[in-house]
Amino acid sequence: MIRMFHVYKNYPNKIQALRDINIHIRKGEFVFLVGPTGAGKSTFLKLIYRGIIPTKGQVIVDGINIARLKPGYIPYLRRNIGIVFQDFKLLYNRTVYENISFGLKAIGATNFEIKQQVKKVLNLVGLEHKKKTKPHLLSGGEQQKLCIARAIANEPLILLTDEPTGNLDPYNSWEIMKLLFHINIRGTTIVMASHDKLMVDKAKKRVVRVERGRIIEDTQRGIY
Amino acid sequence: MIFENMGFYFREALLSFRRSALMSIAAILSITTILLIVGVFLLISVNLNLFLGNLESQLEIIVYLEDNISKGELNTLKNNFDSIDGIKEVKFVSKEEAYQRLSKDLGEQKNILNAIEVNPLPASFEIQIKDPKMIEQIANRIAEFKKVEEVEYGRETAEKLLNFTYIFRIAGMLVLALLVFASILIISNIIKITVYSRRNEIEIMSLVGATSWFIKWPFIIEGFLQGFISAILSIIILYNLYFFAVNKVHQAIPFLPLVGDNLDLLPMGIAIVLLGSFVGILGSMFSVGKYLNV
Repeated sequence: MIRMFHVYKNYPNKIQALRDINIHIRKGEFVFLVGPTGAGKSTFLKLIYRGIIPTKGQVIVDGINIARLKPGYIPYLRRNIGIVFQDFKLLYNRTVYENISFGLKAIGATNFEIKQQVKKVLNLVGLEHKKKTKPHLLSGGEQQKLCIARAIANEPLILLTDEPTGNLDPYNSWEIMKLLFHINIRGTTIVMASHDKLMVDKAKKRVVRVERGRIIEDTQRGIY
Repeated sequence: MIFENMGFYFREALLSFRRSALMSIAAILSITTILLIVGVFLLISVNLNLFLGNLESQLEIIVYLEDNISKGELNTLKNNFDSIDGIKEVKFVSKEEAYQRLSKDLGEQKNILNAIEVNPLPASFEIQIKDPKMIEQIANRIAEFKKVEEVEYGRETAEKLLNFTYIFRIAGMLVLALLVFASILIISNIIKITVYSRRNEIEIMSLVGATSWFIKWPFIIEGFLQGFISAILSIIILYNLYFFAVNKVHQAIPFLPLVGDNLDLLPMGIAIVLLGSFVGILGSMFSVGKYLNV
């Protein structure tokens, strides 16, 4: 599903964010991306959804070489990728329902499909009763759930999550993790950047450790 | 896809208008103010043009005729003048008429005319021309006709006047161009601010896989609405202010020519609407484009 071959990423200020990254993430896998702040985890995720392109090397996502992707096709790549951000990136002047329906409308879903799909994902994350609420009235955990609901609404092949439990208490963190496992079981490939030792250890999934831009460890059923 | 979604784009544009009402109102008021300034200058320049045109149209050629001219020769001469390109009107002033005019002009002093036994004034043609710039050329041509004693057109005055109106027109156009340029910059910057305040929205839309046009359309419509509404507002204000001013001026200086016909003012209204709408559309299109590259 995701392959990287000798990927380097340098930023304009000459910081080497990633160095010689080689990885293969298979369809349906759940991968933790761990490492200290600034290790290159976010850069790794950005490469997958083509927020940036590699300085050197190849990134193949679902058979598409993202460096060769024309700008006009980026939206179509992203429709296969759900993204959950640590800072939520919700539209605070729209309701819970609208935050999800909006993304579906953007990819051309009909009103009927939108209704069905929003209901389905809100049920899944347990926010059905708050569909008319504005996001700023939700708790942190609920906002994160809303982000996940939005990210999976169009049933993407890949779900990228950047420290989704970073701002949450252990109870809410585990709730989010359970939700992600559930989504993973249904076939979605998940890449989750995380600092959360407790969660990573508890999950017993593949752990890829990044430090100073390099992958220094890659273990199945690993720990932080 | 575009037309399928037009309804959605319009709803989105109107919704975001409502969601950020304060921002929208501020933008509309600012754009209205800019368009008002442009409009006031347009009105001034249109009236200035009318005034200059009036001045220029007062330029005329006076052709004094020899005393021994026969009626037949007079007619031929008039026909010849009529056939010259660029002549608007030819008016004959007979010796008697000239005498009458002079005595009228002299007023109380007309008695001095009694001292003269024969009417010394020549008959003449007063010729009005279409393009004041042609006056010298036409006057020279007329002077070549037989039975024409003298041609007079106030050469120096004409040249000075034409220079003056030329400079005024050029200056007016320059100021107008500058003003329009400045207003384009200011309006597009105002639009840019409204788009900037929603850059998160643009980023999120782009991340969920919306195409760039899907993101742009509501902003374009919103930009158009902001420009259009501002233009209409400024036209309403300008219209009322202008006719109020025209009335006041006419009370003070009744003979001053002013543009007062709605039809003459229409092109200006159209120009303001086009300026507001186009800059609104283009401004939002380019601003959204800037935040699209996530």
